[in-house]
Amino acid sequence: MKGVPTVLITVSPEVSAQMRPPRALYPKGFKVGNSLGRPGMRDLQKKVLRDALNLLTQNTRPGDFIAIEYPEYGEQYEPPRVKKL
Amino acid sequence: MTISRKCVPFTPFDRELARSTIAIVTAGGVHLKDQKPFNTADELGDLGYREIPPDVDSADLMVSHHHYDHADADEDINVVFPIDVLRDLHTEGFIGGIATRHIGYMGYTQQLKAMYEGTAPEIANDIDKGSRADAVVLTGG
Repeated sequence: MKGVPTVLITVSPEVSAQMRPPRALYPKGFKVGNSLGRPGMRDLQKKVLRDALNLLTQNTRPGDFIAIEYPEYGEQYEPPRVKKL
Repeated sequence: MTISRKCVPFTPFDRELARSTIAIVTAGGVHLKDQKPFNTADELGDLGYREIPPDVDSADLMVSHHHYDHADADEDINVVFPIDVLRDLHTEGFIGGIATRHIGYMGYTQQLKAMYEGTAPEIANDIDKGSRADAVVLTGG
C-alpha cells in the first residue's frame, strides 16, 4: 500500500490534532454533528467541501489544521476540548 | 499503543482536483438502512465498518452512533456524509469523479489499539484497492 492522500473535516480540532491528521479543515464554530454545515444548506456544504478539497493542493503543514469562518452558518459553538487527565 | 509525536503519515497529492476521483470515509456511524447497524449497546464500541456504494440514494442512509447528536444528519445525511455535495462538485467539474466505494464506521471505541492496528488499516486497504480514489475526504460526527 503506497498510501492515499486524505483531508479531514473536523469540528473538534483539539481532539483531532491528537492523531496528527496530514491535512485538516476546521469550519470554525460548527457544532459536533454539523461537519459540513446545517441540514439543507447545500451552498454552504459545497463551500466547505471545496475548501477541504483545496487543502489537498496547498502547502499545508502536516499535523496542523486550517480554521475557516463561514458566517452563513449562523449561531457559533465552542469545540469540544481534550480532557486533561 | 505508541504513537510518534513527530511523524505525520503524509501522502502527497500531485494531481488536479478536476481530474481526481474522491472517496468519503466517515467516522459518523453512517451506513445503509439495510446494513447491520453499529453496535451502540457495547460501551467498548464497534470495530466494524460498512462499505457504501457510489450510486447510493442518500435517503437510504442512516446513522448508528451513540456519542454525538445526529438529529441533523438524520434530516440531511450530507452534514456528515457529503455524497450529494460531492456529486454536485462532480457535475460542476470541480472534481473528476466519485469513487466506487465509500466507508462508514462508528468513530467511538475504547479499543484504540484494535482500531489503530486493525480497522484503520483495513479501511485504508479497502479504499486503496477497491475504490479507485485519488484522495479521501474524512469526516467525523
